[in-house]
Amino acid sequence: MPAIETDGLTKYYGDVRGVEDLSFSVREGEVFGFLGPNGAGKTTAIRTLMGFQSPTEGTATVLGADVRDAEALREARARVGFLPSEPGLDESVTGRRLIRYHGALRGDVRSEELLEVFDPPLDRKVREYSRGNKQMLAIVIAFMHDPDLVFMDEPTSGLDPLKQEELLEFIRAEQRRGKTFFFSSHILSEVRKVCDRVGIIRDGHLVELEDVESLLDRSGKLVRVRVGTDVDAEDLAIDGVHDVEVSGDGVEASGDVDDGPASGEGPDGATTVSFTYTGAYEPLLRRLLEFDLLDLSIEEAPLEDIFMRFYGEDPTERIGRVEGETGSNDENEVDQRTETADV
Amino acid sequence: MFETARYESERRLPAAAVISLALSAFAAMVLLIAPGIIGEIDVDALLADLPPALVESMGLQHMGTIEGFLALELYQFVWVLGLGAYVAYSAASTIAGDVEDGRMDTLLAAPVSRRRLLLEKYLALLSPVVVVNVVVFCVVAAGTAVIGEPVALADLVAVHALSMPYFMACGAAGMVASVAAPRRLVAEGVAAGAVVGTFLLQSLTTGTSAEWLGSVAPMRYYDPLAVLTASEYDPVGAGILLAAAAALLAVAVRVFEGADVQ
Repeated sequence: MPAIETDGLTKYYGDVRGVEDLSFSVREGEVFGFLGPNGAGKTTAIRTLMGFQSPTEGTATVLGADVRDAEALREARARVGFLPSEPGLDESVTGRRLIRYHGALRGDVRSEELLEVFDPPLDRKVREYSRGNKQMLAIVIAFMHDPDLVFMDEPTSGLDPLKQEELLEFIRAEQRRGKTFFFSSHILSEVRKVCDRVGIIRDGHLVELEDVESLLDRSGKLVRVRVGTDVDAEDLAIDGVHDVEVSGDGVEASGDVDDGPASGEGPDGATTVSFTYTGAYEPLLRRLLEFDLLDLSIEEAPLEDIFMRFYGEDPTERIGRVEGETGSNDENEVDQRTETADV
Repeated sequence: MFETARYESERRLPAAAVISLALSAFAAMVLLIAPGIIGEIDVDALLADLPPALVESMGLQHMGTIEGFLALELYQFVWVLGLGAYVAYSAASTIAGDVEDGRMDTLLAAPVSRRRLLLEKYLALLSPVVVVNVVVFCVVAAGTAVIGEPVALADLVAVHALSMPYFMACGAAGMVASVAAPRRLVAEGVAAGAVVGTFLLQSLTTGTSAEWLGSVAPMRYYDPLAVLTASEYDPVGAGILLAAAAALLAVAVRVFEGADVQ
């Protein structure tokens, strides 16, 4: 049985679309990333799955309970945790009292252990908390009853980088214990660290559902080379090279793509070229060795780049533009990976 | 069981203490000035200048006794109108306030039904009412003895006990406002406004052909003046108030269960 299964799940607020026709399933034990920009419908989907609001059409099950069946869903929530994007906490009491109350509502089997990692000042009133402390308290409340499935809406928001890392590590550890996560976010770097699969949502519709691995494969590598000679973008025109930017050392922003074939040369004659590469290593390295190679770095492209393709611009316009491509490497072309244009 | 009722009652204790103190102080002040007014002012002469209809509708002829004075100065207005409006107002902010501040999400994420949540929050609302009732009762009972104007204890018990169904009805009306209004501020205004509005409606229509309009007013079924001055208890009125409270709560639960929490 999938932990979450949605079938044509649709939610309208009057005439305003929240989400439309969402169909996907989340397997038990996986971390499912739910990606989209603000306003795409991530929170709407989570709130409908939690039963805070009823779907306009379609349905979904959460741990086998139909979201339209309030009583079944109430029972299922004993095994569900929820971490909202903005921690909704009673601020007039201390953190300790709030933990005791929520522990009484949902059961408390591990708040002490959680408080060793996420440690808000328990004896202070919640209204005195910083945003990060509130988030940590919300995390403790979300996990204190050791739920099997946890919905997280932008869970790292408000946490300092150290705590963000701790939360991601905690999620990985919980996954090893067999827990399932529904992880909504617009931050790709954290999604790629913990998620097995991602669904990308845009304007209320699911536009892509994929393994993080294949998403990363498609996104290619970010290559940076520094060569001792003058280089034109055309010199690097091999299959799989995109978005070439050429700049001379010490010359700022000389990769201005509107200037035609850029040919920046630094004071010492060295040139830095960066581009995205989606092919195999060998042809790339062969070509690069033809130059006087001073430095080379190859790293995974930021997921933001692929992410942008799904909602960064108008899809019809993009497809039109891509179809007009001849296959040559035009610096003005920001996006020419046709295989991803079938949105 | 009853975690929410307990938690919310605890949270309301400071408010209960403040209101108890304020009303006790007010009751003490009324009791302190009472002997002077009752003994030294010719109430009948004073009232002769006022329109008889006004005297009749407000029961001013009872001003000259300690029971009447207490009922008019403390119970008719501060208690019935003031505390009644406050109870409706606080009931209105329960659900609406939690929803508005996002606390409701954290609550509803727990395996607790909306019905239970609403009813427990309602129960918690009554705890400060009980506290205020007990404290003010003690202050009035002791105060009347101290100033040498004792009031029949049974009447005093009755005036406080019978106010409970009245406050329960006010609170239940506030719960309906809390789940039905789009925002917390609207809910609070509507709830407190309803208590004040029906009070005015009942006062203005008394003795007119439109008197039946006043039957929507909860204060029609709880008359502290009759209890204190004539020992007339109104068990039917109390029954009506309890039934109204139950019906209003049922409506509130129904609306809340079907609502989208946003």
